[in-house]
Amino acid sequence: MNLVQQLINGVVLGHAYALIAIGWTVLLGVARLVNFGHGQIYMLAAFVTWWATASLGLPYPLAILLAMGAGVLVGLVMQAAMLRLTFAQDLVSIMIVTLGFGHLMRGVAGLVFGGNPQVLETPLSLVDFELAGAWVTGQDLLIVAAGILVFVLLHYGLERGSLGRTARMVAEDPKLAQLAGIDVRRVYFAVFAFEGAAVALAAALVAPRTPILTSIGFEEVIVTFVVVVLGGIGSVAGSYVAGLGLGVFTALFGGFVSPAYATTAAFAVLIVVLVLRPGGLSLGGRAGR
Amino acid sequence: MTRPVLEARDLRVAYGGNVALDIPRLAVAPGELVGVVGANGAGKSTLVNALLGWSRGAPSVSGSVRLDGEEIGARPPHARVARGLALVPEGGAVFLRLSVADNLAAANVPRGSGRRGYDEEEVYALFPRLQERLHHAGSALSGGERQMLAIARALRLGPRVLLLDEPSIGLAPRLVSEVLRTVRGLVGPNLSVLLVEQNVRAAIEVVDRLVLLERGRILAEGPAAAMRDDPRILAAYLGEAVA
Repeated sequence: MNLVQQLINGVVLGHAYALIAIGWTVLLGVARLVNFGHGQIYMLAAFVTWWATASLGLPYPLAILLAMGAGVLVGLVMQAAMLRLTFAQDLVSIMIVTLGFGHLMRGVAGLVFGGNPQVLETPLSLVDFELAGAWVTGQDLLIVAAGILVFVLLHYGLERGSLGRTARMVAEDPKLAQLAGIDVRRVYFAVFAFEGAAVALAAALVAPRTPILTSIGFEEVIVTFVVVVLGGIGSVAGSYVAGLGLGVFTALFGGFVSPAYATTAAFAVLIVVLVLRPGGLSLGGRAGR
Repeated sequence: MTRPVLEARDLRVAYGGNVALDIPRLAVAPGELVGVVGANGAGKSTLVNALLGWSRGAPSVSGSVRLDGEEIGARPPHARVARGLALVPEGGAVFLRLSVADNLAAANVPRGSGRRGYDEEEVYALFPRLQERLHHAGSALSGGERQMLAIARALRLGPRVLLLDEPSIGLAPRLVSEVLRTVRGLVGPNLSVLLVEQNVRAAIEVVDRLVLLERGRILAEGPAAAMRDDPRILAAYLGEAVA
């Protein structure tokens, strides 16, 4: 087994995990909310990207934008439906409602896109080249580049400037933020829209690696959960490191031990880390708490 | 008669079925400092919170609130702030994880409002201590410093009316008069203040007009000089229930 190949696979997978999770990190950090329909937004966005390229014949970059638009729309609809619950911070109801939305999206996707697995081919997934004895595709490099770009922008965006300050104010005390003239409702909508767009971007970039089915999304929620908790709730930098670490661990474990038990091993690592460091990795650049 | 800068009519607040506040009319004139006094549970905080439409709980609020003649009673808190109403809640609420500088930078006069808020220099002139603590987190401040920061943040919003909920609470007795004198100094043609204060003796020295609340209703109101010898105010001085 080629160690370099596994490491490269791990780095690509890690950036994919981090990208999939970043929306949740911000959602939890700024609005203290959860979205268990996250995985189904991923699934829906993957189908939209596929449909836009395969059926509409749109160029891949436009298909990505279309998928992100769909993610924003779903996020806004979900938040509009849950606004009262959001203000009351009724997490149990929010969890159930978002799970419900997830099932709804799966049903709608089945009706619209059918039950057959689809393959999303992109121009970059057909380009591959050798790097230090390992094979890499252009799509892999795009995932890594997009992951780095999104995290750098978000890290500095939340560290500096009025946007980050507003996010931190709402995260700490939304009621008090109203007294500073902040429209907290708009912030909640923006955060849900961001979550939808971010997970849709991740889907458009990562989904070409595997067949697209209406049943995908569950594993993405689990991965997101592990990354967000490991990284420290609301920590942007922590999520990046946790995603990368989880990707490399999964690739190495899958390559050298057994791919069947990689998720089990990831959860074992999660338990060990949380026992040793209950706050996760927490590496600054927090979107919230 | 001058049009009030802030006027509430038929303001009613209820928690569940319990009425916490029921006020037919309350008005603040331009450049006026009005004190609201009363015992614990009289509805003082409920009043200022209701004027801004703000609450940590979920009360049912009805009635009219007019700011500079514009009805704002149905607007959310941030929109009332944008129109020139600012609230400093009890306990000098500040963002504990944000630095003093960020707490101050977080509040700004909305563009196009035509109002002018305190700039940094004016804030530091008013509260020099804040400049010394500029890079400290809100959590590292003392109670008095948090109060200063909360007031400064509200002033940066350039309010027409400032609602102050017990700014002297938790302060050493020698500081109470100082804080209230500072509040008096804020009042001017462009800024009126509605001051909730439990320390009646100190409040009556600085306010223009006094409103005595009892169980959510206005029991008495009038110019501070006239209210000084009111037996009901004397009872409030002593913290006794008024029959």
